[in-house]
Amino acid sequence: MVYTKKSPALLIIGLIMLAMWYLADSGMMQPYLDHLAAGKKYKYLSELTSIPLYFGILAAVIGAWQLFGTHKEGNWDYYSSSIAGGMFILLIAMLVRWFVAPEVHVISVAFGKIGDTGAYIDKLLGLNYVVLGILTGIIIVNVFRIPEWAQNGVRLSRLGLKTGVILLGTLYSAAELKNLGGLSIVMIGFFVLGSVGMVLWLGARRNIPNSMGGVLSAGMGVCGVSATVAAAPVVQAKSVEIAYTIGTILLWGVGCMFVFPIIGNLLGMSHVQFGAWAGTGILNSAQVAGAALAYQPDGIETLKVAEIFNITRVLVLPIIVIWLAVWYVKREESVTQTVNVGRVIFEKFPVFVLGFILMFALSTTGIFAPANHYKGKYFNNTTDFKEKNLLSAEQKSVLTAEFDKIQRQDRKDAVSRLLENGKVMSIADDDTIRGLINAKVLSKEADGVLKKAHKAVRHTAKKIKAFRNWITWLFAFGLVGLGMQITVGAMKQAGGQPAVIGGIVGATKAILSLIVVLLLVSEKV
Amino acid sequence: MAEEQPKYDRGSALSIFGSDRREDFMALIFALIIAFGVYVTH
Repeated sequence: MVYTKKSPALLIIGLIMLAMWYLADSGMMQPYLDHLAAGKKYKYLSELTSIPLYFGILAAVIGAWQLFGTHKEGNWDYYSSSIAGGMFILLIAMLVRWFVAPEVHVISVAFGKIGDTGAYIDKLLGLNYVVLGILTGIIIVNVFRIPEWAQNGVRLSRLGLKTGVILLGTLYSAAELKNLGGLSIVMIGFFVLGSVGMVLWLGARRNIPNSMGGVLSAGMGVCGVSATVAAAPVVQAKSVEIAYTIGTILLWGVGCMFVFPIIGNLLGMSHVQFGAWAGTGILNSAQVAGAALAYQPDGIETLKVAEIFNITRVLVLPIIVIWLAVWYVKREESVTQTVNVGRVIFEKFPVFVLGFILMFALSTTGIFAPANHYKGKYFNNTTDFKEKNLLSAEQKSVLTAEFDKIQRQDRKDAVSRLLENGKVMSIADDDTIRGLINAKVLSKEADGVLKKAHKAVRHTAKKIKAFRNWITWLFAFGLVGLGMQITVGAMKQAGGQPAVIGGIVGATKAILSLIVVLLLVSEKV
Repeated sequence: MAEEQPKYDRGSALSIFGSDRREDFMALIFALIIAFGVYVTH
């Protein structure tokens, strides 16, 4: 059979991409982009003026060939027939990333910041390209259905996700572990492994499919969306199961974010105690930060501790992925027959997990960025420090004029050193200065100077930035395609079990970690 | 694995490839090409 459809769709997609590029590159789209930037600089302009051009030309040329050329049965025909659907998904991912997500942010900004969390509602609800991409895919398949010419391409989405997961390994480094406190490692290790084990156990008791239990355990145990996406292909999760897991953890996180600070205040927890609890009990990174800032709006001590616990949790991800891979293979095989476990694992173990481990190992050696980093960010005020990044005399005078407003001695000392040297001198000073900015003691102008000084020493490695961009695009592509595989019927079939199990495990983890924190954590970690 | 998807005579409802392992290897090849590209150009 010949798979390539003689449809003008791919050609039209190419022309739409080219039109998008032209409107952005010629400046005709600028007023709209200014609106999306909400008073700041529109951050996707360089992408918008390059990516649609390359893919637009590619799609238009292949689209013309598919429409006017002759096609014969064979491998080339089969695989090239997926290009139209792939470009369709990519076009939607572009629209979500460049226009829909920024528009949602503009609307959120109009509502103002939520309480003391310091964040807008889109960030707190996790309404980023991930969720919006899945939602868009769901709307397309349920309202319009997938056109026949795009059906082969939609089946490329899992390939995109797997490639993204392998590259995800470049963002983590085992070298980071040595900087973390012993207690955070023990606590996170216990609670992550405990949560994963509990979800798997509850899942078996409540008869949910292994794939659903597997993907939910990673999401509930580790850190939300990335962990869910990484674990999904390992346990052969269905699209609807992934969407359910992401929905469950985000909604649970939103609830925790508002309830945790109230309980913390009722119990009179110290900043360190609350940071440790939030970093252990709340699932999504943005929500951990939101809760920490809500608890301590005038400083950064709580956030710092919560970040340490959060980082520790993320670093457990490779272990969880391997565990789930082995668990799933053993469980699926043991249902049918007694087999040689070692041989089955060798035959069925997902190769892309090894790719993830390989990238993680390479990242740990420091080949992509200094080994001592978290997701590519590291402190550097010595080598490569550019002269232009030093504070100017004018900026120093802004800080000097407001120096007396600063009350805390550690903040005074850090700013004094900054004024003396023109740059932040240590990681500790950087943390203190971030706390001072957060406390809003100084004017906006002075805080702007402090922010500049902070950005000058906290670098994101260029390679890591590039990897993060690739991962974002691959995930956006994969998740839009994944959304296109979720029908209303499939959602009904999955039922409400994931939310029930998620709620039980989440509540157990929150309560137990609160008890452990109150018993073991004093002021220092 | 079908989620109300049409039946495919090649691949499955979730993948155009004949087996998961083939899809894994393709993902690995793409990832290595991207990683090499990033390493060389940045």
